[in-house]
Amino acid sequence: MKNHVSFRVAFLLVLVAFAVQGCLGIGGSSNQGNFKSENTGNGQKIGVNQTTQAVFKGKIYFTQGRNLLVLDGSRNVKQLTHGEDVRDPAVSPDGKWVAFDVRYGDYANLVYMSVNGGPQHVVISGNGHYWTNSGGFPQDDFYWFGQPAWSDNSHLAFLSDFQKNFDWAQLGGDFASAPFVDMQIFSISISHTNLTGAEGKADSQIVAYADYGDGGDRDPMYRPGHPSEIIYTHYTYDKTGTNQVIQLYLEDANAIAQHPNMYSPGVEGSGLDPAVALTPPNVECIEPAFSPNGNWIAYIRRNPSTNSMGLYVMPVPSGDLTSNPNSPTTQKAALASYPRSSLIMQGQFIGQPVWSPDGKQIAFLSYNNNEFDIWLANVSLNPKTNQYAMQGSPIQLTQGGVDADSRPFWTP
Amino acid sequence: MVKGPVTGPAVNPDAAHAFATRSQAIAPSASPGKGNGYLRTGGLLSSTGQPLPAQKIMPIGVAMQSQPLLAPNMQTGAAPGAMPVMGTMAPVSNPRQVDPFGLPVVSPRTDIWSQAWPDTAQAGGYSSPASVSGYVPPGYRPPPGLQKPAGNANKRKKRRVPIWARVILVFVLIILLIGGAGAYYYETNFAAPVANITGQVVPRMKGDVNPNQNSTSGSGDILSGGRINILLLGSDTDQKFNGDFLAQTDIVVTIDPQTKYVGMLSIPRDTWLNAADGYGMMKLDQAYGRGGVGLSRATIYQDFGIPINYYGWVGLDGFIKVVNTVNGVDIDAFHPITDDNYPDDRPGSKNQYAYMRLYIAPGPQHMNGDTALEYVRSRHADLVGDFGRSQRQQQLLSALKLKLNNPSIVSELPQLANDLNGYVKTDMQLTDVFKLMNFARTINQSQIKQVVLDGQYSHTVGGYPTAYGPQDIVVLNCAAVIPVIAQMFGLGDQARCDTGISSTGKPTSTAVATVTTPSTAVSPALAGPVSSDSVWQVAQQMTEVSGLSYSDGSSSLMGMRSLLDLLCMTVFESPVGMQA
Repeated sequence: MKNHVSFRVAFLLVLVAFAVQGCLGIGGSSNQGNFKSENTGNGQKIGVNQTTQAVFKGKIYFTQGRNLLVLDGSRNVKQLTHGEDVRDPAVSPDGKWVAFDVRYGDYANLVYMSVNGGPQHVVISGNGHYWTNSGGFPQDDFYWFGQPAWSDNSHLAFLSDFQKNFDWAQLGGDFASAPFVDMQIFSISISHTNLTGAEGKADSQIVAYADYGDGGDRDPMYRPGHPSEIIYTHYTYDKTGTNQVIQLYLEDANAIAQHPNMYSPGVEGSGLDPAVALTPPNVECIEPAFSPNGNWIAYIRRNPSTNSMGLYVMPVPSGDLTSNPNSPTTQKAALASYPRSSLIMQGQFIGQPVWSPDGKQIAFLSYNNNEFDIWLANVSLNPKTNQYAMQGSPIQLTQGGVDADSRPFWTP
Repeated sequence: MVKGPVTGPAVNPDAAHAFATRSQAIAPSASPGKGNGYLRTGGLLSSTGQPLPAQKIMPIGVAMQSQPLLAPNMQTGAAPGAMPVMGTMAPVSNPRQVDPFGLPVVSPRTDIWSQAWPDTAQAGGYSSPASVSGYVPPGYRPPPGLQKPAGNANKRKKRRVPIWARVILVFVLIILLIGGAGAYYYETNFAAPVANITGQVVPRMKGDVNPNQNSTSGSGDILSGGRINILLLGSDTDQKFNGDFLAQTDIVVTIDPQTKYVGMLSIPRDTWLNAADGYGMMKLDQAYGRGGVGLSRATIYQDFGIPINYYGWVGLDGFIKVVNTVNGVDIDAFHPITDDNYPDDRPGSKNQYAYMRLYIAPGPQHMNGDTALEYVRSRHADLVGDFGRSQRQQQLLSALKLKLNNPSIVSELPQLANDLNGYVKTDMQLTDVFKLMNFARTINQSQIKQVVLDGQYSHTVGGYPTAYGPQDIVVLNCAAVIPVIAQMFGLGDQARCDTGISSTGKPTSTAVATVTTPSTAVSPALAGPVSSDSVWQVAQQMTEVSGLSYSDGSSSLMGMRSLLDLLCMTVFESPVGMQA
């Protein structure tokens, strides 16, 4: 009898030990159903789907809790940064470097480092200071950087408010009454590092202007196979200044540099535009991502009538769209592909699509169980309809939540 | 497990168990067993020690009441063939309790039934819990004095409480238990925080009228009287209710319950004016810093003629804590939020007048309390100004509502109460806040008159010489302000704009161009511990609020929702906040 009781007590103790271990998160990893969980610091965990349905090739870089993580095809997670506010990783075409921005209170640094981690190379530091502005709000020379995108192995496009202190008052109206803090797209060579904001501004080339007042541009990405073409999301207001207009634009990345006196920032419909809209103004389309062959665009469309968002794929319009973007013919041709968009999937919150290097999968962020996670959709092109469609159901790849406002990157 | 001289025919334990659950079970259990095995099982004996026939020892009705249970010794097979042990849980729960002979020991019983050994035949059937409790030694007879006289069973039956009475008794007991648990839950989790939030009366300063003294309603219902003016003050962080800190937000809300009119006047915090009680010229936010609620309230009355019935003070950190307690909110940001002039009034800020920069990415994302506060407070991120800001606020409130409407929030309610504790103060009672917010919610927001005394009503003067050095101040254009106040607050000729500075920036005759020694106008009562009386009053209010919420179909979350409304309205500086 005594032995029996001891056995039961011992058995209970073992159970308690397991329970405590589970509660306290002791141990490097654990399995919750199909998900293998890894501690990533700050009390956070990332679970990775281990089933055969969640197979993918290459590596996916993303951030969780503002730490940079990389998930490989064997579904192992490696943490590359610790304790920094890292966002928007992007891997260079040769696979050597990963660029990202690091936020520090009032500013950000644009940096890159080895894809395996290690020391960071600061391309530009956005640090600065405030100064008194008699009769108005204080001014500053702090700068934001965001969403780097490689055009080749030595040049980065990125978002910045570099031109906020430029005297745009000549444009009148809103420009004369407040600083122009809307984000625009610039590019810079990474041959120099540790540039100050002023130095970085001098070394950078403006790629895409913003309109005033709605936050500027987002999501820049060069078109594979067409290194001079860049796509981005353009936020602005309509001519009445009361309704938002959010469209995808395609542009020759060198158009402004090659025609320095032709273009300027402004408001919707004012002056000449170096870019051409690929989506109509009455639909909010965001977060475009080129397919690996550069012929398709995955993007997110808001659907206010159902209070939902959809992941769509549309073909890149054919023809030369960037040489003469202000031509009505070009503008019409640029909108021709939008009606051929195919819905891949929809949900309450869907975002940040990114193609697999082989073009057979699209990873995206979806909101389920009160968290944003990476999901995979197997997609294929139907030769009859010439449209992309999802094969099967989407597969949840991660569990535990990732940063939904940080763009993931998929590399071979 | 009990070992003893138990023998008898094999009995299928399952079958025995099945029998043991109904009165007929006694038939097989009373079938001839052998010796002690029969006795051990709680079977009954005649006065001669012989087993009694089943039909004599267990009438159906009685047996049903006894709810017999099967002891584990049957299931373990230790007593094969023995009848099912029937009895209470006592011997079952301690099967290893045995006498020196290896027989189970009966637990001592204190009730008369365990001591008596009724003549079951005379008693009309089996009823002794002693016998059903377990082992009765062979040949045992109770002491003569404890034998029950014949006919006692009938008497006992007559005295038995009727079923309906038992049901009612149990029901009442359950209600009492639930009520007691609820009261305990209230008191331990809510009463102290709510008592620390509501009823925080601040003494009136000299010259400040108390419009509540003229209240004629006398019904105790805040909505049964005339117009109510509430001063909402928002400070940058926690524990700044004690003065010496700035009030970033200064809003006067006016509510006329009779006409269902709601108005909201936002006075810029940098408004240069003549503080009451001889404090002299200063910014409105400094008035709070130098004299707390009392000086802010008195100054509003002195300079604008607006009598303040009640005040509400909010620490912005409370909003951050609330959002964090519900594990953040998930929002699709409409567009990038860029703001280089967001007030740097975060905890730990080195300079309350400093600015900080914001860049919030567009698209779906999770926001913690800090980011959510920035998202709803930024004034410079939309071309459409406050309209865009209101849209963001409504968006965030919808997300917050989703979290608050989740049943799991119940477990977070005590934490929500703690989040608000120290970050919300008002001299209203909880029921008043609840009624006011419920009333305000019924008003169409498009009909709520909202005026911000900026631009159209004022202008900024940079580097104005003050006792604190040159400062950027806001000077009101009183000619434009007075009609607005007169209309919004129904003051007619009583509306004033005696700020002590002309629209050209020159002091007027009423100005007192001195700065007096700072004082603290905080009621001593505020610093004291929460009394048990106030806790009890709060418990009563919360009960009333819960009742009111049931009656109007709203979810009060123990009254927390109305306090959240007060918090959000002040943080947002907008009636949008009343939708939490």
